[in-house]
Amino acid sequence: MNTHLSKQFDLELENIRTRILQMGGLVERQVLAAIEAFGTGNIEEMQQVIRNDREVDAYEVGIDEDCTLLIARRQPTARDLRLVMAISRIVTDLERSGDKAAKIANKSRKVYRAGARRIPRISDVEHCGQLATDMLHGALDALARMDVDAARQVIGADKEIDEAFNAILRQLVTYMMEDPRTISEALDVIWIAKAIERVGDHATNIAENVIYTVSGIDVRHTGPAARKAVRE
Amino acid sequence: MTPRRQWLATAVLTGVLPVLATAVLAGLTLGADWGWAVAALGWLFVILVQLRELSNLAAWLDAPDSREPANVRGFCSELVRRLGRRLRDDSRKLAQAEAGLHSFREAMDAVPDGLVIIDTQHRIQWSNRAAAVHLGICLPRDGGAIIEQLVRAPGFAEYLGNPDVNAPFVVQSPAVRTRYYAVRVVSLGEHSQLLVSLDISDARRVESMRSTFVANVSHELRTPLTVVSGFLEHFADDDTMTAEQRQHFTRLMSDQTTRMLSLVDDLLTLSRLESEDAPASEEEVEMDDLLAQLLAEAHSLSEGRHRLELICDGQALQGNRKELHSAFGNLVSNAIRYTPAGGDIRIEWRIREGLGAFCVRDSGVGIPAEHLPRLTERFYRVDRGRSRDSGGTGLGLAIVKHILLRHQATLVVESQVGKGSSFRAEFPGWRLKAVG
Repeated sequence: MNTHLSKQFDLELENIRTRILQMGGLVERQVLAAIEAFGTGNIEEMQQVIRNDREVDAYEVGIDEDCTLLIARRQPTARDLRLVMAISRIVTDLERSGDKAAKIANKSRKVYRAGARRIPRISDVEHCGQLATDMLHGALDALARMDVDAARQVIGADKEIDEAFNAILRQLVTYMMEDPRTISEALDVIWIAKAIERVGDHATNIAENVIYTVSGIDVRHTGPAARKAVRE
Repeated sequence: MTPRRQWLATAVLTGVLPVLATAVLAGLTLGADWGWAVAALGWLFVILVQLRELSNLAAWLDAPDSREPANVRGFCSELVRRLGRRLRDDSRKLAQAEAGLHSFREAMDAVPDGLVIIDTQHRIQWSNRAAAVHLGICLPRDGGAIIEQLVRAPGFAEYLGNPDVNAPFVVQSPAVRTRYYAVRVVSLGEHSQLLVSLDISDARRVESMRSTFVANVSHELRTPLTVVSGFLEHFADDDTMTAEQRQHFTRLMSDQTTRMLSLVDDLLTLSRLESEDAPASEEEVEMDDLLAQLLAEAHSLSEGRHRLELICDGQALQGNRKELHSAFGNLVSNAIRYTPAGGDIRIEWRIREGLGAFCVRDSGVGIPAEHLPRLTERFYRVDRGRSRDSGGTGLGLAIVKHILLRHQATLVVESQVGKGSSFRAEFPGWRLKAVG
């Protein structure tokens, strides 16, 4: 990071970065735990995930306030301003991912409580979840290291997760057509898969914000060609 | 002469004396004023020469590329010589220290534990190669980064702020989810801390295996116990039971207790096999004898439902008869239990390529390939329901594996679903004894 005249400013900026990455670590664990609980049917763990969501929310409020205070007090410019703006957007993405984890836990609790005999496509959903958590991890690493290349890789991985989601969807539709008694649990599994797919989207947003911070170019809603053009 | 004296002598001889002598000569021939003037000019000259040499020396010190400066003479040459020696010594020591540091770094990189040094602000100063695998910290990319930004496991920041040496912090590997690392923090003086990460995945796996084993044993004992206790309650409550019913229930209860007994027997056998490395005693086991005994047992177990065949074509085997009997008996009884009525079972003992091979071949249900590597695990079952119905404890093949290990033998399993399986125990050549 560049050095500023005011060492205190540097410290504050770095503190916000550390806090958002800590929040990211918590969200990552939440998503991972939710998907694992869905696979094993551990009700206790699902409830733990739902409870922990409050902690994620507390992080969001705290970091948002820190960002506002920093802008008011220090009036950052250029890259520092972009970083603060990006962080306040990333906070929202992380909080939403946390909500998705809670949602996965909630839905799987419902599925298991209903006494589902056989949950369809469980290993495919787990595979999808693995992709999503890998993406989230990659996006946070890119944020920690301000690494544009790593961020671009994360954005590229989103396609794979979308394909995996569509495959699950197709299989579940067939499943429901074959045996209408499974509709209710298959629908819940679709909700879970959708939530996982959304986590991947949030990871993409985080990666886009990293590119914006480093290069000053907004790559949201642009094609891969524009992203590729971003070179430092 | 001491170096200091030598230096003085050089100075006097090259600087002071010639000027003094010329000045005295000039004073005597041309007058005192001339003498003073010559002395002043002479010494001025000497001083200028020295100054020039000093500036040469300074220039050389800035870039000591040549060993000694060529254009420094006289008065300063001694100084130069010693400076040169000092410089050479220093650069040699530096090279030694660098080599030492290099080999130290190599050693640190070879350490299987991850090592990271951080300063008071938790910025990464140094890390070894294992840290890249354990914590994802890789130099030089992450040098100077704040460690909490890279190791983001919840609770890690708190642990770093208040480390407890006795209770390490456990992190999951970022790359491979099944690997776990225990991180300890050791303080290195006032200004830095050392993080040591240890791979504990294996320890965790052993721990989980142990608890699975306990859970399995309890489950296996619980099922027959539930049956027995259910019947006992029935006996106590129901007075109107006919003698026939009573007999039927008693037989069922006795089946269950037999099952529990055989389970406990198998457990005891396993624990005994595990606690000793080698059989208590070894003798020459006549295989004709042993196989005849196995065949008799097989006949009584099969009750005429299978075609049994025996081929014994080999020497006696060095080993513990009781253990071998138990291992072979397990293989034979497995074959009978998993082969439907009317199937063929062949028991063989022969020498193949210098190895003694005991083989049980059946025409039974067969085992799907994905189960083969796990067959000898305790309580591992290909088909839970059927195995228990046929009276297995789930420990048979584990016992076989242990006994064979003690006899340096290996178990080879070949199987095809629907066609049958063959279990072959291969004994090393030195265990075979010539007949007679």
